[in-house]
Amino acid sequence: MGPLDELIDAGPRWQRPGKRVLLALARRPRGLRLLQRFPPADQAGAGLVALARYDDPDRARALGWDADAVVARGRELRRREGRP
Amino acid sequence: MTPTTLSADVCVIGAGAGGAVLAAELAEGGMRVVVLEQGPEHDPDSFTARPPQMLARLYRDGGQTITLGDPPIAVPLGKGIGGTTLINSGTCFRTPPQVLERWHREFGLDVDEQSMRQYFERVEEALSVSEVTPELAGNNAAVARQGAERLGWSHGYLRRNAKGCVGSGVCAFGCPTSAKQHTGITYIPRARSAGATILTGADVRRVEVSGRRVEGVEAKRADGSPLLVKSPIVAIAAGTIHTPALLARSGLGGDSGQLGHNLALHPATGAFARMEQTVNMARGVPQSFYVDEFADQGIMFEGVAGPPSYAAMSLPVSGRRHARIMSQYPQLAQLGLMVSDSSRGRLHFLASRPVIRYDLNHTDLERFRTGLARLQQLFEAAGALEVFLPLPPGVAPRAARRRDLKLIGFHPLGTARADARPGHGVVDGQLQLHGIEGVYVADGSAVPSALGVNPQLTIMALATRLAFHLLGVAAAHAPLPAPAAPARGGAHVRPRTP
Repeated sequence: MGPLDELIDAGPRWQRPGKRVLLALARRPRGLRLLQRFPPADQAGAGLVALARYDDPDRARALGWDADAVVARGRELRRREGRP
Repeated sequence: MTPTTLSADVCVIGAGAGGAVLAAELAEGGMRVVVLEQGPEHDPDSFTARPPQMLARLYRDGGQTITLGDPPIAVPLGKGIGGTTLINSGTCFRTPPQVLERWHREFGLDVDEQSMRQYFERVEEALSVSEVTPELAGNNAAVARQGAERLGWSHGYLRRNAKGCVGSGVCAFGCPTSAKQHTGITYIPRARSAGATILTGADVRRVEVSGRRVEGVEAKRADGSPLLVKSPIVAIAAGTIHTPALLARSGLGGDSGQLGHNLALHPATGAFARMEQTVNMARGVPQSFYVDEFADQGIMFEGVAGPPSYAAMSLPVSGRRHARIMSQYPQLAQLGLMVSDSSRGRLHFLASRPVIRYDLNHTDLERFRTGLARLQQLFEAAGALEVFLPLPPGVAPRAARRRDLKLIGFHPLGTARADARPGHGVVDGQLQLHGIEGVYVADGSAVPSALGVNPQLTIMALATRLAFHLLGVAAAHAPLPAPAAPARGGAHVRPRTP
């Protein structure tokens, strides 16, 4: 299961089908054009796609953000200093 | 299925800002405490610093709780031990003195700056609250500071509950270094050490009352088995959205007509700026700096920042332009705008789940219009090459309509508000339910009005005050036991009969 699927599944049950439809549309050029006619839906769909796209570790690293390094540093600090 | 039955002096429902503090103080005061937390206990080893995963795991409803109204507003809430303190930015403001004065004047509460000081000091010591240094604040704060200084606007570095912070930049997605002193790693361990029983995955269904006295609570464990906690005191700290739902399904708190009403959200939005210099907004403390020049108008700017995925989700542009601007993520800066709201929402209950209705009133819309214009001014003064306001293309701040705003309500308060008069509030000045002995509310729902600042310290100080009331320690000017010293085995303070 991808992070976005996990996120949608964690959401309120009544929102899930709508979010999956938005996501499917936002990932396709024709769907995207359709969504652009409804700004709030476009915003929600595009926001989800952007969240997933820039969560990709390679893409994020290229922009200067390395989540794995942040986590590794955190673990090391907690271990070394006896933090909870 | 035969229910498991526990007995306690106090049953605390919820292990967030209010519940964890109350549980620790009471357990250290010698009371037998059972804490029932609906969510799990999160292992910091499972924190990934990746927003989509962390939203799904650490936030109630994956952070997708949303209001019905104009405009719809996202209301992010924490889930599990630590509650929202696990996922907030860690900003610590004391309740502004003028707000305490208002509570005394309008709601009949026996509070003022002097009497509350000892509780704030106690909480701040327990949470290692200190001001962020400019070095730790990072370049995102430096941009805001430059703009504020050039404009001569009042500003400063925020105080936070953090110890050994290295500026991981993901306070809202699980602190990977355990530097943020949320209640799950501060007060809950203290409560455990003092003998409190902490149960996770415990979904409280009802508060049981006989006549006008509480008897305990009925809950369901994660495996579906029933659980009863017999207790002469029940303190509800399930949060501003869920405490009223529990009271409503228990048939309690409805006499004043105020239950679920008076919801303040402290709605917020944020703007981005593209700078010439490298900012790397996620390096440093995301919320480290404030501009309070317009606080008397209900407008506050506070730092906000996050990794690329977080920025990409909230950057208010689309298509190729979005991709172009995101390619310059290292040069992006961001600042948040919070409005101390005069709008009030209310909760409705649908199949025992709360539904939030909240419409932004004209006064608050005007505050957002003004705030957005000021935000643009601040970024321009800081030397921004481009400013991206959270508005549709072509809409200027002054022309923004409600539906143009993209808002998040970080600080819900007031849905079981305290008022000394039974006809005006759900709980009294000591946070006890009007008309029912032994039921208390110890979270943001009891806070009578909007604060204009981040509320975690207010909630914790009120919970501390409640703990000392229940322990029978005189509230004003009495020396308080040291925060880290469990009282078990030492002096036992007799609980005050509710």
